[in-house]
Amino acid sequence: MSAVLDTQADDTTADDTPATRKPSPWAAPPRPVWEEEPSKAGQAGKGLVLTLACLGIVFPLWIVVVTSLQSKKAIDEAGGLVVIPKGITFVAYQELLSGGQVQRAALVSIGVTVVGTLFSMAVSVLSAYGLSRSGSLGHRWLLMALLTTMFFGAGLIPTYLLVQALGLTDTYLALILPSAVSVFNILVLRAFFMNISQELIDSARIDGAGDWRILWKIVMPLSRAVLAVIALFYAVGYWSAWFNASIYLTDQDMMPLQNVMIQLVQKQERPVGLSAQVNTGELSALAIQMAVMVMALLPVAVLSPFVQRHFKKGMLTGAVKG
Amino acid sequence: MSHSTVPRSRTEAKTPEKTPATDPERPAGDKGGKRAGKLSLRLRFRRDRTLILMTLPALLLVLVFNYIPILGNVVAFQDYDPYLSENGFVAIFESPWIGFEQFERIFADSAFWHAVRNTFVLFFLQLVLYFPVPIMLALLINSVVRPRVRAIAQAIMYLPHFFSWVLVVTVFMQIFGGAGIIAQTLREHGYEGFDLMTNPEVFKYLVTAETIWKDAGWGIIVFLAALSAVSNDLYEAAAMDGAGRWRRMWHITLPALRPVIALLLVLRVGDALTVGFEQLLLQRQAVGVAASEVLDTYVWWNGIRNQDFSYAAAAGLIKGVVGLALVLTANKVAHLMGEQGVYKK
Amino acid sequence: MTPNAASGPSRRKFLASTAVATAAVAGGMPLLSACGGGGKDDRKEGTTSGKDAQKILPAFVASNVVTPDIPAKNGSAAGFTKAIPTAELKTSVPKKLGSGGKLSVMAPFWGTPPKGDNPYYTAMNAATGVEVAWQNQDGVTYDQKLGAVLASSDIPDVVVVPGWNLNGRIPSAVNAKFADLGPYLSGDKVKDYPNLAAVPTEAWQRGIFGGVLRAVPMPAPYVTDIAPLYRRDLFEKKGYSVPKSPEEFLSWAKEATDARSKLWACDDMKWTAFNIFGVLSGSDKALWWNLEGDKLVNRIETDEYLEALEWTRKLYAAEVVHPDAVQGKAGGTPGNRLTAGEILVYNQNISDWWGKTAEQRTQNPDFDIAAFDIFGADGGDPTLWAVQPANIFTFVSKKAGKQQIKDFLALCNYCAAPYGTKEFMLTAYGVEGTDYDLKSGLPVKTQQGVNEVNGAFDYTGNPAPYIAYPDLPEVTRGMVEWQQRMGAFTKKSSFFGLTVTEPTRWANLADDFEQLEDDVVRGRKKISDVQQAVSDWKEKGGDGLRDWYRKLLDDNGGNGSTN
Repeated sequence: MSAVLDTQADDTTADDTPATRKPSPWAAPPRPVWEEEPSKAGQAGKGLVLTLACLGIVFPLWIVVVTSLQSKKAIDEAGGLVVIPKGITFVAYQELLSGGQVQRAALVSIGVTVVGTLFSMAVSVLSAYGLSRSGSLGHRWLLMALLTTMFFGAGLIPTYLLVQALGLTDTYLALILPSAVSVFNILVLRAFFMNISQELIDSARIDGAGDWRILWKIVMPLSRAVLAVIALFYAVGYWSAWFNASIYLTDQDMMPLQNVMIQLVQKQERPVGLSAQVNTGELSALAIQMAVMVMALLPVAVLSPFVQRHFKKGMLTGAVKG
Repeated sequence: MSHSTVPRSRTEAKTPEKTPATDPERPAGDKGGKRAGKLSLRLRFRRDRTLILMTLPALLLVLVFNYIPILGNVVAFQDYDPYLSENGFVAIFESPWIGFEQFERIFADSAFWHAVRNTFVLFFLQLVLYFPVPIMLALLINSVVRPRVRAIAQAIMYLPHFFSWVLVVTVFMQIFGGAGIIAQTLREHGYEGFDLMTNPEVFKYLVTAETIWKDAGWGIIVFLAALSAVSNDLYEAAAMDGAGRWRRMWHITLPALRPVIALLLVLRVGDALTVGFEQLLLQRQAVGVAASEVLDTYVWWNGIRNQDFSYAAAAGLIKGVVGLALVLTANKVAHLMGEQGVYKK
Repeated sequence: MTPNAASGPSRRKFLASTAVATAAVAGGMPLLSACGGGGKDDRKEGTTSGKDAQKILPAFVASNVVTPDIPAKNGSAAGFTKAIPTAELKTSVPKKLGSGGKLSVMAPFWGTPPKGDNPYYTAMNAATGVEVAWQNQDGVTYDQKLGAVLASSDIPDVVVVPGWNLNGRIPSAVNAKFADLGPYLSGDKVKDYPNLAAVPTEAWQRGIFGGVLRAVPMPAPYVTDIAPLYRRDLFEKKGYSVPKSPEEFLSWAKEATDARSKLWACDDMKWTAFNIFGVLSGSDKALWWNLEGDKLVNRIETDEYLEALEWTRKLYAAEVVHPDAVQGKAGGTPGNRLTAGEILVYNQNISDWWGKTAEQRTQNPDFDIAAFDIFGADGGDPTLWAVQPANIFTFVSKKAGKQQIKDFLALCNYCAAPYGTKEFMLTAYGVEGTDYDLKSGLPVKTQQGVNEVNGAFDYTGNPAPYIAYPDLPEVTRGMVEWQQRMGAFTKKSSFFGLTVTEPTRWANLADDFEQLEDDVVRGRKKISDVQQAVSDWKEKGGDGLRDWYRKLLDDNGGNGSTN
């Protein structure tokens, strides 16, 4: 019997056992019979390393979050980032959200990210598959053509003139098309595609499946993890991009979130003397900066469970490899 | 899910793999390549046209948005003034050609070579100290079986990637700086303070530490994807054969990661001349130019900052050529070691 | 391993943050704002002064609409300490000069630009008779956007170029793409625009690019803008008196520093050191030169330069400088360390005097900041060098029609209205009742005003330098009087007031000196390294540049001492 069916059978039996109907996500799932008892020392070591690594991140994160919630007075007294909070105030977040600019810009960003990611994924998956068969006609030349662009960049002026000549300035396409293809991402996808059992693809071909069908029915379902990763890379790229918008857009109402965030930070720390205005209230420029930082982390927190779903150990992908 | 087809195909795949060779339109994997060499171009095109078609959209985008503006790099051989003419593009035809003068200027500058040296030192340091960290972290995370713990640890580790460099440096300063938490605590107890942030001697390690803190967690993501492709059956079979925990990692887990590691390694080597631009420019004053100047900051300081387009283009070309040479060499080495690398010959 | 995002965007992000840092000290420490070179074409390099300039410059007709409480003296700004009731506001633009035409204006903007149809913009458009379509560009990436837009054939009607963006090929673009305003402003023609006629001549002279009057400048006081600021409240509390000589400062600093309690005497004092030791101004490259005897001397060649560095080095070596200041740019802003009470003295643009006072007023009523007088190297009177009297420029595209240029000047004339006029109130505070309210006689911006009256009309015309904080009359007085006292010791170097475009091949020759200075004062390099760098500089073109400047001086007569 095939290995795939074995695993499936295992899963069903496990689910049917009354005792483990709904295992707590905190608990370890039942260990397979063949796996040895973990050593106490090993467990402890692992726990220690993980805890330290996480603490090393959580502590700075704490500083950032706390500072975003502090009054100007508290921040002035600390002379910068605040470690121990003195009261809590949400003025920084209120300021960020009060103008309505952020909400509108967030919609723009979501739109650009969703459309851009779908477009980039389509283009990248197709080309990664198209290049995944060594020996296919011209595949080395095509690969080289892509690879070269990783090393040779273009100056801002030629790029700007091109985008302008194509009539893309002041359109959202200017935020998507120039950065739609990441060769790095294509190469990673391709590496994963090439790792898929060739026998599987060959047999599908014997069954009369063409390349489109193989890609759709075999390669993509078997590559869910890497597809999730690459989609995340693209999404993060589109979400955090701001330079293209600042160069190619002139209409303030079209600006994506990152640009508006940058503007809001600048508004607080505007060069004194250029404009006779200074912030005298509760609000500290630093708190705004940190609030912007926190809001930048939000999408990650939202997205990461979706990606992690695809990282389940020993999914069917591997089963067909053996 | 379309897995219903999977078991069937797999059993059928047991049949001899030579079958497809009888049909020129159906190549059979790697071996097909060599045989395909004998096929006429027309037949190969007919066979691979779908694949080529699939590559076209990406190719078209790259052609328009990369190659056309890259042509603008001819200004490296000019004394380019984009404002000589009505349009900066037309100005290319009106700017004087000066041959390799920009390149000579760069190569004759001792500061350039110093920057190159710093770049390679940092690159090797990061290759040794940084590159393995995400792999080890991925293995560690992968060995955690409790789903909630695993999810939380993963999510936390991604976060620093989204910190700006300014913030990363500030946070390090607050902890390790001369007025940082550690130094200040020492002083309060009557000891001497110290300042890790402004010491040119330890700067390269500081930079590496900052990089690890910021990006190692994010770097695990690709490896986790690769690990998720490893079948439990393999582990089970190995365990049945008496392989212990470590042997299983060595013989199953690591081989599964090898293609990805090789690919990322090759690409990283190709990118050797790029080490932390923003991060280093930020800390330039703190430790001085001698310790912090790398190729990218050198080019920024001498070319981009002054909008010296020809100079920047020349430096970019040098960097590109070296990068391409490095990646091809690294790729070759990967082949010799039996890895796929970026592409196979 | 940051795919997709790659290094491109992050690099740009950084470029951006440095740009803002530069802007933040606009006029403060604009050594970064190197004066760039022009094309090989000789007409574009150099400068214009003397007789040639006289033919081009607009006539000066002082404005007597409102008399300042503290008149300008010795190159200071004029001070206005009182709010003027709405009923008593004067009128400086009796007749609307704009034709109702449209103008697109590209300008840097730090903050969130308001919507285009807001009450403030509408009122301004109606009052000036010019329909402005703002293209407010992110101040952070402005230099890059500017470089790209100027290279395209599609340039906005009006473009603002800050002095710190005038590097590389931008001066060449200025000459190629922007119109000659001479036919509208030279000599008596400016009298059509009375508020522009009241702009000081030396500011106008800075607007001459490539031998032609191209820019409406933003006038600034020529007294050094870097002031040594100190916590007057903490000085009083601890019984310190303000140091009167370099030695006194050092010994006071050693006494005042208490690292254990997280207190350091000062921040980086390099720029004040330059002023104390009488080093030629480092703000604009042309100001680095001065005719001494019969020879043009560059600031980096002087003993004063080395002495200033040596003294600053002593401060660092004595560990009286805050460790975060040693970090430089990455260490955060010195102003925050001052308000936190971690340092007692720092140097910054003098506008921080008002900025910090206003900022701390509600939070920390005890907070008191002031600038102390710069002392000389021997404890006597200092020798100070004048900075450029204008450093932000507004241009009109060559493609603009006559009427558009006239509309632009009408707009500038309106915005250049002096304090105490209706025009000034509208430009600076917006619409009464909407953008600001009068509270016990003082204009106070509403939330709407804060969001709308937000810097857009900052560059399209400005009156002669003024300081007007009616809510903080003491600070206003303190600032103006400091400028006047320092102005009395201020000399003008040979190329003061001139906009000089250096030949491209030498334009960046001295760029590395600033980072060398930073290395020396922090003890990473020696004074002898500076001397070595100076002799390298001479060989690589410093002497050539000297001859080039000498020729300029001979041809044009420089600013002379009469200017």
